[in-house]
Amino acid sequence: MRTVRLYFRLLGAHFRSLLEYEADFLILAAATVLMQVVNIVFLAALFAKVPALNGWTFWSVLMMFGAVALAEGVGSLFFDGMWSLAWQINRGQLDYFLVRPYPVALQSSSAAIGINGLSNIIMGAIMIGTALAHVDVAWTPWLALLGVVLLISSVVIKVSINLATNAVSFWLASPTPMFAFAMHQVGDLARFPLTIYPLALKAALGVVLPFAFIGFFPIAFLLDTGQSRWIGLLTPLVAAYCAGAAILIFKRGLRRYESAGN
Amino acid sequence: MPIVEARALTKVFRRPDKGPGLAGSVKHLFARRFQDKVAVDHIDLSIEAGEAVAYVGPNGAGKSTTVKLLSGILVPTQGEVRIDGLHPQRDRMTVAHRIGVLFGQRTQLWWDLPVAESLAVLRDIYGVDPATYRKRLARFDEVLELGEILTVVGRKLSLGQRMRADLAAALIHGPQVVYLDEPTIGLDLAVKERVREFFRSIRDEGTTVMLTSHDLADIEGFCRRLVIIDEGRIIFDGDLEAVKDRYARERILHIETARPVPLETLRASLPGAQVTVEDSPLRYAVRFDRFTMTAGHAVTALAGLTDLVDFRVDEPSIEDVIRRVYSGELVLG
Amino acid sequence: MRSYRALIRATARAALAYRLNLLLGLGAVLVQLIALLAVWQVILAQSPVNGFTWPQMRAYLLVAFAAGTVVSLMGDFRMAFRILDGDVALDLVKPIDYQRARFAEAIGGLWIEVVLIAVVVGVTLALTGGVDVPAGPGLALFIASMLLLVPLKFLIVYVSTLACFWTQNFMGVQWARLAVVNLFSGALIPLAFLPGWLATTAQWSPFAGLTSTPALIFLGRVDPGHGLVLVGVQLAWVLALWFGARLVWQAALRRLTVNGG
Repeated sequence: MRTVRLYFRLLGAHFRSLLEYEADFLILAAATVLMQVVNIVFLAALFAKVPALNGWTFWSVLMMFGAVALAEGVGSLFFDGMWSLAWQINRGQLDYFLVRPYPVALQSSSAAIGINGLSNIIMGAIMIGTALAHVDVAWTPWLALLGVVLLISSVVIKVSINLATNAVSFWLASPTPMFAFAMHQVGDLARFPLTIYPLALKAALGVVLPFAFIGFFPIAFLLDTGQSRWIGLLTPLVAAYCAGAAILIFKRGLRRYESAGN
Repeated sequence: MPIVEARALTKVFRRPDKGPGLAGSVKHLFARRFQDKVAVDHIDLSIEAGEAVAYVGPNGAGKSTTVKLLSGILVPTQGEVRIDGLHPQRDRMTVAHRIGVLFGQRTQLWWDLPVAESLAVLRDIYGVDPATYRKRLARFDEVLELGEILTVVGRKLSLGQRMRADLAAALIHGPQVVYLDEPTIGLDLAVKERVREFFRSIRDEGTTVMLTSHDLADIEGFCRRLVIIDEGRIIFDGDLEAVKDRYARERILHIETARPVPLETLRASLPGAQVTVEDSPLRYAVRFDRFTMTAGHAVTALAGLTDLVDFRVDEPSIEDVIRRVYSGELVLG
Repeated sequence: MRSYRALIRATARAALAYRLNLLLGLGAVLVQLIALLAVWQVILAQSPVNGFTWPQMRAYLLVAFAAGTVVSLMGDFRMAFRILDGDVALDLVKPIDYQRARFAEAIGGLWIEVVLIAVVVGVTLALTGGVDVPAGPGLALFIASMLLLVPLKFLIVYVSTLACFWTQNFMGVQWARLAVVNLFSGALIPLAFLPGWLATTAQWSPFAGLTSTPALIFLGRVDPGHGLVLVGVQLAWVLALWFGARLVWQAALRRLTVNGG
């Protein structure tokens, strides 16, 4: 509990300096909203001519886009510092993190607030909400609770993948998070139903870097779309696995940390 | 029990041996070749609580690497470190409360926060209670004069302001052991003096301090124990005053006389000393061992021979001794 | 002229050094290509939609990919940082025209982009089957359109980067530009799929020249007469933006002198 409270303390410390650049914040927020609006226009235009994509309708795909936007938004709003890990390693910034009594990964991830995450969270929530209003699900309290668990799990998966791929910077000497950024982009593939891709991509997005568990599998379960919908129930397990793997990779990386020469 | 203990501490850095450019990187992927650099080589060191230790050595000798090993930032390739009996990686959280680290080359302040806010964040990370925090801050303020800089944002601090704020940041949680790595680097003389005074005040409060510096003036009057490292090995570990007694015993008396005096006359009156002529025929230098002759004796002897217009005694500082060690001119033992 | 040629050569030689930036910028475009190829393959497997068959849509997406890759090495990031740091003042004292110099750099980087496009197009075609190349006049128009695409894209990136004189946030401007270009150029979905009013707006915007125009000409979906008009629009935008960018630059300089860098 103290760890969580302290996390928000560390993150919140940057909030005031963020407000100094109000115009910047507005531009970034507007750009993020614009990107999501373009996505929605694209989906609407596509599904105006096509009833479904492998059994997925406009609303169900919109919900996947929303889930990815939401998970990404949480990642940038609360854990944006992860993206500076490569830089922190390269400049020896971890030296001081290592001598403070607080988890190093959390000191790193709280080093910045990605305020554009806020608009992504809002847009994602609107997309999911609108989609839910238009799909036919027999809601029960249990299913609703499960839905919340799935949503939290999908956020955990996204953040864990961010941490794991950024922690690769302990092995690569680059001062920019090339690898993590490339993987983040690959993750965009998982906004579409996994079934449209060739086997190799299915394996990559479903198993190796399980981006498909952020939107596709849990939503397939909730909306009862496609075959093997039970896989969606594995989402919390996948989330636990991803979080564990990410922490392990980070810890292994930390042992390799060599600081920076003077 | 020593509060800091290192046994056979060794750190080997492995650098990829890459050719230049893209071709070199690609080649490296297939034939991985590495170059090993031993930065710290089987160091044994133990520091008792309350001790003040100067850790000196030429550039690249392994000083900073040792500090990083002793504070748990780096994992040793071989050997081990204990802080108050604890393993710095396994018991990282507990150890973190007991140590404070300052790297002069690098700040731990948040670049986008005012100094006061940076210190408050650290207070919360270490869980320092408000009363103790206020008391410590007030005490730091006395020596470091923090008042004027508390409202300044990290990135806008001058080097001297930054170092003073960083010292406060490194000590705000009242650590038992403090590592100061090049804490005066790049500072002007006035700030240096203030910072040195601050070291003395924390030493006098019983904090264990390990001070790494290549400005040897930092260590004079600060610590009793001197450790010299070169090429990753400790080449001397002992009492600072003893080193001075043993290797800095030569004194030079510079005299100016009213009339020229034959060198032989001077030499005859001062057996055991070396007398040479300096830049003018009226100036002479007299070198002697302070354990066989005192400056007063020399002056009295000379005054009997001729009219002394002026005289001055030079005593070598620890700086000169250590510089001679670095250059290989002198071997301590 | 000589100094610009030297700048082209220098950038061409340095292009390899920026290969990582290129691959990064390329990532998003490549991911979009893969996703859209997969989406349309599934959809068009049954029947053509809006008159697009699978081979046509594939060709369309490849043209979109090529258009998205060209002029991505130009170093708009470098330009943005120089403006934000105030280093741009150093560029001003050089006896060369700022806009032409940046254009020369964009041209210098082209070769590595063309190599990458060739590789990706080659691999895609090898995996999914060949493509019909248009006949004589269509091909000539397509080539003309692709050539115009280079200055057109350069100018759009250049003008949006000049926004750094007014805002500290290059990232936001870049994101907004990418989103607008993606939709209005037809890179995300052919303009024919958009609602009428939006399609018409996009059609006459400078962005259509970035994907829609060359792609439709390549597919033979417009007759040579109409194609000529579309290329004419492309050319008109290149000229308008070239001189429009100078006006923006003048305004930016006034701002620079007012703010003292």
